[in-house]
Amino acid sequence: MREVAPLPLLHVDGLTKVYRDPMTLKPFTAVDGLSFSLDRGEIFGLLGPNGAGKTTTIKLILGLGRPTRGSIRLDGRDPRDPAARRRLGYLPENPCFYDHLTAVEYLELTAALFGIDAQAGRRAGLALLERLGLAAHVRKPLRKFSKGMIQRLGLAQALLNAPTFLVLDEPMSGLDPIGRAEVKQILREERSRGTTILMSSHVLAETEPICDRVGIMSGGKLLEVGTISGLLATGVREWEISVESLPERPAAELRAAGHRVEPLGTRWLIRIAEGPALQRALKVLTQSEVFVNSVEPRRETLEEHFVRALSRGKAARS
Amino acid sequence: MTQIRARVAALAPFLVAVALLAGGDLLDAVGKARFQSGGADELLYYPSGLMVRQAALGYETAAADVAWLRGIQYYGEHRLTDQKFDLIGHVMDIVADLDPAFIQPYIFGGFVLAQEMKQPERGLLLLERGRVANPENWDLVFEAGFLHYVCRHDYATASRYFTWASRLPGHPEYAERFAAFASQKAGNRGMAILLWKRVLATGNKYMQEVARRELKRLGEEEQR
Amino acid sequence: MIRVLAVARNTVREVVRERIVLVLAIFGAALVAASQVLSPLAMGEGKKVVTDFGLAGSSLLATLLAVFLGSSLLHKELDRRTIYAVMAKPIRRAEFLVGKFLGLWTTTGFLLAGMTLTVLAVLTVVHGETPWILFGSLLLTVMELGIVTAFVIFFSSFTTPGLTAFFTVSVIVTGNFAEQILYFGGHGDSPVLAGMTNALYWIVPHFATFNARGMVTHGIAVPPERIAFAVTYSLLYMGALLTVAGAIFERKDFR
Repeated sequence: MREVAPLPLLHVDGLTKVYRDPMTLKPFTAVDGLSFSLDRGEIFGLLGPNGAGKTTTIKLILGLGRPTRGSIRLDGRDPRDPAARRRLGYLPENPCFYDHLTAVEYLELTAALFGIDAQAGRRAGLALLERLGLAAHVRKPLRKFSKGMIQRLGLAQALLNAPTFLVLDEPMSGLDPIGRAEVKQILREERSRGTTILMSSHVLAETEPICDRVGIMSGGKLLEVGTISGLLATGVREWEISVESLPERPAAELRAAGHRVEPLGTRWLIRIAEGPALQRALKVLTQSEVFVNSVEPRRETLEEHFVRALSRGKAARS
Repeated sequence: MTQIRARVAALAPFLVAVALLAGGDLLDAVGKARFQSGGADELLYYPSGLMVRQAALGYETAAADVAWLRGIQYYGEHRLTDQKFDLIGHVMDIVADLDPAFIQPYIFGGFVLAQEMKQPERGLLLLERGRVANPENWDLVFEAGFLHYVCRHDYATASRYFTWASRLPGHPEYAERFAAFASQKAGNRGMAILLWKRVLATGNKYMQEVARRELKRLGEEEQR
Repeated sequence: MIRVLAVARNTVREVVRERIVLVLAIFGAALVAASQVLSPLAMGEGKKVVTDFGLAGSSLLATLLAVFLGSSLLHKELDRRTIYAVMAKPIRRAEFLVGKFLGLWTTTGFLLAGMTLTVLAVLTVVHGETPWILFGSLLLTVMELGIVTAFVIFFSSFTTPGLTAFFTVSVIVTGNFAEQILYFGGHGDSPVLAGMTNALYWIVPHFATFNARGMVTHGIAVPPERIAFAVTYSLLYMGALLTVAGAIFERKDFR
């Protein structure tokens, strides 16, 4: 028997979108040759600065626009086929909902659009509003909602149909730290249910803890894709030696060798740039009978990697 | 092959739309043909080619009412000043253009032209226009007879009109009586009084005023 | 169907919760009341004045509402991006458009019916008559309104609110002149002109078909057959417009 790998939930192949300025007819390439896949049950972060093409990519994945070239397969279907979106939940960037409706009315509309019957929809809607801390505002018209409340409602309408695929465009925006923590928790809960999540963000600190894989976009191109640990594995940036106390003589010697020596509270931190130099530094310290607390390799943070990838991408374009 | 299918799929909605539109047009044409061969009343209200009517963009009868009110106002102003109503014929013609089945303007217009402006031919012409547009209306025919009697003193013609009116649907029983009187006793004061008393019963207070004046002139007090 | 109705219901809510509708409803009632004030000046034709002004006023108001509120309906969705969350659901573009159309038509239709009932009430209370035949005219006007609404949706699927309003009003005027156009084109000297006016006649809606206001004012009931013809014609016409609008909207890129 041959085991066949399950079909990826999302498969994007050579996706390109070229817009034409209606006035000048100048073409503008928003997305350029994007290719990646999403496996079921993973959280994928689409990272990039503003204007990188993340939102355009998401819109194409949702069938809100037509690709100029390339293909998208959502659960094996063209995303423009409504059937492909039956188990999809979407939270737009800076969402705007019908402000003449109340929160529960909006969720009832959402339920009807999913073909969920009115009673069940209402129940599910109220339960979600409770889960997202909006139970007190069920009958409030949406025009009276704050940005954070709208963001939560957005999450509620995205989760109403118990989606197998969640697409979130800047899900943390407008939320305070508590709110962000709650959203992260919800995302983890969804993943544990087997939901696949695609989220776009330019707040890297928020993405790092929850994403299984990330893709870095810039100028419409996908520069890198991979697990965070995989992307960052290439290259231990430096070693950090933490010592209890540091007499002047070994400190000066280390500085002379070109290493950075910094106080850190009551301790000292010595940063060694290269691997071989580490041994020599340690020798200096043991000879001075300095008590070494720890020796840690410091890998680059996602942020540092991100900045490097972007500048590489920029260089490649020019 | 798929390219041809894609092209056909893209064209399909437009073809469907054209088919629906064609079906609609066909139906409308059949409908028009049917209803134009219907009764005279329906004929009046089905789309016609009259300029003024079309300019009212579907609101002809309301526009006719506006013109009617304007005509009344015009009469009211001039009856207190110079007693000249030169434009009344023109205004009532416009009303008739917009709403040929609006009966009162023919009657009032004809009345003012014949009785107040002493131009019975113009008044009778207006009434005739109304009669042509509304051939089954007894009132217009009776009014013509009335004007022939009191303004032109043409009792024989008046009698013919009263008789005609008495043969039209919905006519009141006095039409026959007047027909008989007019033919028997031409120039009878009593007959004139009865005709003017009839005017008292209309809803038009201007015409009632004139009727009271005429009855006084004939020496008969107004009876309630 | 459930999705279409969901969008329709939402559109009704949206339109009704706009203050302008309340203003127009009050204005409509005031119009009918005012026409009653003119009644004594009409020399015995007060009933006709109330009926004519009531029917004309309600038709005009409902049409204005459809054109001016409806022309920004789609644009608002695109501008405020409320449409994104909706179109990411399993709903077709065409279903969304038809839902918007039904919502707008329903609302304006109710305004029209409400004003007609007001006319009937005034006639009953003041003049002691209840001409139920007004409903025949109401039905035809509702269908006419449906065509106007379909045009609003059609134009707004590809152009700005301002142009939508302008084009729709142009269609209304042309549609009312349809027979006139045909007549003058056919009686001219040029066969080319005749051909063109002929083509134009068959494309524009024949609004005169739906005008039974004069008829009912003079106490003549609209024959059921004529109603049947008019209703069918309007449904076919609306179908044509919405089909094309749906196709155009299907291709639209949401930026």
